[in-house]
Amino acid sequence: MTAIVVLILRVALAAALYAFLGWALLILWRELKQQASFLASQKKPGISIQAMLENGRQIQHLFFQGEITIGRDPTCDFPIIDESISAHHARIAYHHAQWWLEDLNSTNGTYIGKSRLSVPTVLISTDKFRCGNTSFVVQMQPTDESLSAVIEQQNEA
Amino acid sequence: MNKAIQGRLLLLAAIFLCLQTLIITLSPAVRLRSWQVDYRLSQWIGLALWGLFVARAHYDISNKLPDADPYLFPAAALISGWGVLTIWRLDPNFGSRQAIWLAVCLGLLSFGTRLTSLEFIRRYKYILLTCGLILAALTLIFGTNPSGSGPRLWLGYDELYLQPSEPLKLLLVGFLAAYLADRLPARLRTIHILYPTIILSGIAILLLIVQRDLGTAAIFTALYTIIIYLATSRKRVVFIAIVLLALAGLVGYYFVGIVHSRVSSWLNPWNDPVVGSFQIIQSLIGIANGGILGTGPGLGSPGFIPVAISDFIYAAIAEETGLLGTLGLLALVGLIITRGLRAALRAPDTFRRLLSAGITAYFGIQTILIVGGNLRLLPLTGVTLPFVSYGGSSLLTSFISLLILIHISNHLDIDPAPLPRPQPYLALGTLLALGLFASALTNGWWALIRGPDLLTRADNRRRVVEENFVQRGLLLDRANTIITTNRGEIGKYTREYKYVDLAPVTGFTDSKFGQTGLESALDDYLRGIKGSPTSTVIWNSLLYGTDPPGLNVRLSIDLYLQSRADEMMVGESGAVILMNAQSGEILVMASHPTFNPNYLAESGARLMTDPTKPLINRATLGQYPAGSILEPFIQALYGNAPTSDIDTNFVYQTFGFFQAPQIQLEVAPAPLPGGEDSIIRVSPLQMTLATASLSNHGVIPAPRIAMAVETPIAGWIPLPALGNPITALQPEAADEAASSHLVVDLTYWQYLGRAQEDQSAFTWYIGGTPANWQATPLAIVVLLEDDNERLAERIGKELLTDAMHP
Repeated sequence: MTAIVVLILRVALAAALYAFLGWALLILWRELKQQASFLASQKKPGISIQAMLENGRQIQHLFFQGEITIGRDPTCDFPIIDESISAHHARIAYHHAQWWLEDLNSTNGTYIGKSRLSVPTVLISTDKFRCGNTSFVVQMQPTDESLSAVIEQQNEA
Repeated sequence: MNKAIQGRLLLLAAIFLCLQTLIITLSPAVRLRSWQVDYRLSQWIGLALWGLFVARAHYDISNKLPDADPYLFPAAALISGWGVLTIWRLDPNFGSRQAIWLAVCLGLLSFGTRLTSLEFIRRYKYILLTCGLILAALTLIFGTNPSGSGPRLWLGYDELYLQPSEPLKLLLVGFLAAYLADRLPARLRTIHILYPTIILSGIAILLLIVQRDLGTAAIFTALYTIIIYLATSRKRVVFIAIVLLALAGLVGYYFVGIVHSRVSSWLNPWNDPVVGSFQIIQSLIGIANGGILGTGPGLGSPGFIPVAISDFIYAAIAEETGLLGTLGLLALVGLIITRGLRAALRAPDTFRRLLSAGITAYFGIQTILIVGGNLRLLPLTGVTLPFVSYGGSSLLTSFISLLILIHISNHLDIDPAPLPRPQPYLALGTLLALGLFASALTNGWWALIRGPDLLTRADNRRRVVEENFVQRGLLLDRANTIITTNRGEIGKYTREYKYVDLAPVTGFTDSKFGQTGLESALDDYLRGIKGSPTSTVIWNSLLYGTDPPGLNVRLSIDLYLQSRADEMMVGESGAVILMNAQSGEILVMASHPTFNPNYLAESGARLMTDPTKPLINRATLGQYPAGSILEPFIQALYGNAPTSDIDTNFVYQTFGFFQAPQIQLEVAPAPLPGGEDSIIRVSPLQMTLATASLSNHGVIPAPRIAMAVETPIAGWIPLPALGNPITALQPEAADEAASSHLVVDLTYWQYLGRAQEDQSAFTWYIGGTPANWQATPLAIVVLLEDDNERLAERIGKELLTDAMHP
């Protein structure tokens, strides 16, 4: 009889230990899920990139993802057929509420104006940059909030 | 939010510890199987202290450091409480000291939450480390050891002892973090920057090596390497350290005694279980005894594990909470390590990042080192299990380290410092995770796969303790008269030998002198693990951690005839066996001189070295030259053939003297056929079997002594003979041999023989019933270690007549 009571207590003891661990893991997992859905729900503004090739052809794409790679490789988000562009030439990424242009160690480099890019650089709307012999212009799509801000400004004006 | 998580986790930890305290309280009731016992209550004081100071620390942490990691403190609080209860259960004296130390540590933690910054470590890094080194150096001169012997690693004042190498660990981590955070951005050649760290760490490690505290020296080396690798992310550092450690290990193995003995007892523990590998083997037996579920807190015997309160506390926990408990413990350490590394990665600057990663590495490496040592995964080093092991210095260092981690984790609002090379941090995390994983696997290996083997080892003293709490089976004679029983009440059962003179045959079971005779041969039945239903065995092991009640065994011994034989043998040396020649049942087995197994504790040591060897069962283990007693057998085989035709080896062969009898007793090894000069020795049991063939129409019966076992379900179940009957002679030849030695006017045959070896003379008497005997055929052998034909004949004659005419 005594032993059965204690056996039940022993089972409860193990249950308490694993309740501690299980509950800690559950909370950690919930936190992870929360963070994931928080990141997923963050709205990224659209960006339109226009490329002007050497031969004068113009290509324009509108993107809604957070990361765009430019290069000769067909797997790139913005593939460009130009011998002077590396396979994975440059990346445009959205973080810290800004679009950033980053060179991916390309052979011919990425330029804003005359200066060659060595660190990630913030892009703003209508900025121009050049990869190899192709030049690009970016147009930011206003997010809902910035759009309303613009409308407000216009109204005030 | 964090406060709620931390509060909930602490509540679960408190429930866990309350249940553990309650089980320890009730444990005497389970052991004695009664509610009327003295309950163990003192450890509730430890739990109360824990609850009081943990609540205070929780309040302070959640108020002063609201963004601090909510998992670190509850996990540490749980395992430190677990440690206090385990120590208290092993030794209330040390338990109460540890509880006070824990209260001091928790108080310090509460107070430490008021700190606003950790900059003082950075600023006074040289002073702090130098103070630590001076304290450590002082142990060279003023060092003592609280236990009175062993390495002098402590500084003592009155009853208070400090082990400076414990805080030195933290001071070294702090110094390295501060120094490297200040210097590394300079991007000079790394080696120039490292000179001061090499010198200071080298001094620390040398100090430890001089004091023979090699485990801590290994931890220092590992911590130094890890922090340099984290700061510089150069793999070279790791390779150099591994090569240096391997070299140091090799040199130590060949030239330093303590390293050699530690390593060899790690590689081959089974060769030296008494001295060199005693600790590790007892630790493994404890772990094996725990199995999956453990015996339950307070219900195992972790006291048999040496230094169970500090070095081997992991094994003590494994015994009482099983694999289930230790996996939880390892998971809790894993949780602390994960959260520590997370705090490091999120730290706002390099100093705090290195500091928290270094502290995490210290927790992880030290845990893996001592847990691995307990599990024979790594060589044994005498370091403590952080938060759990007994020791104020270790507990204090662990809690100050925890305080620093909690402080560093309290910076969610500031962006983490950039981390150009994350690989070293990932590598550290992987290393620690692998170490914990390997420990868990090894724990499972000893608890599950090797467990049953380990528990049957003779140096597992738990079996004897069990017999104090569980009735061992009785030994009965053929008329169910008690030969051996138990006396005392539960918890104090001791074996009582009612019929003392049979001691060499029944043997004894004793914690110090082991098991012999029938007690050893029938142990599985007497302990109830054979013959009881499997469910009973499992249920008893689950509930009580013991074997089920033992089963009684009925022997073939006839106590009346046995006592007649023993009366006549008083003062003589020799053996008497009376056997049913047909069935092989042994009615009398006397071996003299005999001893009293009821007083083994007082006389055991003397009996062991007694030149007359009273502990030996001469009837089965004694070996004597046959001499002239071989005559009737030669005659039965060859008739009156001339001496030149006789092949003695063939005679021995025919009558089974070259075979060891199969019986539930230890028997002498069978002699080998010899050449002309060598003497072949036979045991009285072998002689009895040969004699029986003359009274049993030429068939040697299979000997039996254990007749039946009383099982709880099926009642008495016969135990069959172990061997088979062998036909030695044609029935006519046997009958004729027996009748040619018939005693005039009497109804039995007999033969007296003599043997001589060196200066000793032996007298053999054999006899039995004749071929035409209508009742049970009998065979008797008397052997005297003396030249005394008259006595041998008298004993044989009276016993045989008594048995023939009951």
